[in-house]
Amino acid sequence: MQIKSFMLRAAVLILLPGFYAFAQTADSLERTDSLELKDSLERKDSLERTNSLEAVNSQNATQAWNKVYEVFSHPRCANCHVPKDNLPRWSGPHYGKTSVHGMNISGGQSRIGVETIMCSTCHAQSNSDEPHGPPGAPVWMLAPVEMFWWQQSSKQICEQIKDPARNGGRTLEDVAHHIEEDELVHWGWSPGKGREPAPYSAQETADFVMLWASAGAPCPE
Amino acid sequence: MQLNVNGTSHDVDVDDEMPLLWVLRDELNITGPKFGCGIAMCGACTVHINGQPARSCSIPVGQVSGLVTTIEGLGTPDAMHVVQAAWVEHQVAQCGYCQPGQIMSAAALLQMNPNPDDEAIDRAMSANLCRCGTYPRIRAAVKTAAQNIREKNA
Repeated sequence: MQIKSFMLRAAVLILLPGFYAFAQTADSLERTDSLELKDSLERKDSLERTNSLEAVNSQNATQAWNKVYEVFSHPRCANCHVPKDNLPRWSGPHYGKTSVHGMNISGGQSRIGVETIMCSTCHAQSNSDEPHGPPGAPVWMLAPVEMFWWQQSSKQICEQIKDPARNGGRTLEDVAHHIEEDELVHWGWSPGKGREPAPYSAQETADFVMLWASAGAPCPE
Repeated sequence: MQLNVNGTSHDVDVDDEMPLLWVLRDELNITGPKFGCGIAMCGACTVHINGQPARSCSIPVGQVSGLVTTIEGLGTPDAMHVVQAAWVEHQVAQCGYCQPGQIMSAAALLQMNPNPDDEAIDRAMSANLCRCGTYPRIRAAVKTAAQNIREKNA
């Protein structure tokens, strides 16, 4: 009985440190695992937040670009951002069917009509007040041919407006500034009697461009 | 305001927004330029401003800076402009109402391009309408005037 008791105590004494050591190690491991998990969770959380912010930014940028495209593709803008045929377009609700400018008018390669008949022959520096009278602005001309928007997709116009070789050597900040400042651009929002203006305003459109640009100016796929 | 028409300076007391055509016809009694559509669609009111054709019915007089020339200032019956002479030679006019505008547009075209082909003539003249349909004679007269200009300049 004494021997059994001794052996039991000896076993306890031998095993206890091992168990204690094991317990300590397990505890340490558990704490380490817990810290790593916490760290990992925190990283995951942060990543999700970043992804979430990026998603929000991307969504905002897409929404902002869609509004810019609404403006750029509107007849008040696109009718004069025409391809290399140099023919101004007549399109929009008050025109009925879409056509090229009446009376065989061409902007010519100069895009101010100098080779054919000057735009300023009929277009004064302000809108005519007469129904169907000629619209006007301090400068009246077609946009440069490389800034061709007529019937172009959102992706095509997006890529063009970002390309300095095709946007007049502008940064996107310059593009926004151009929208804010240019008198002929502003005509799109005050096009005279009977014509539907472009949506939003010049300032809002410039703000949409800057919002889109600040999120990396993504273009539609 | 001061307005120089056919080499003569005039003092006119009118609203800046009054169309140039109104000033010419009603204030200065210069009635060569005609009222047709009133919205720059027909060309009957065409004059030159600094040598460039302009539809006087749609240009507010306050925006006119420089020399205005009307059909009366282009030439006279005794000393016709080369385009007017070609018009007489081809007997272009029928009713004649649009012809002052036609001649002013043709003179501006030949100033820029003394050797226009049919396409160039059509481009420059298509915005001058003629209800009588004198277009074939207009084209022929423009070509004759162009030839006479080239011979004169040779």
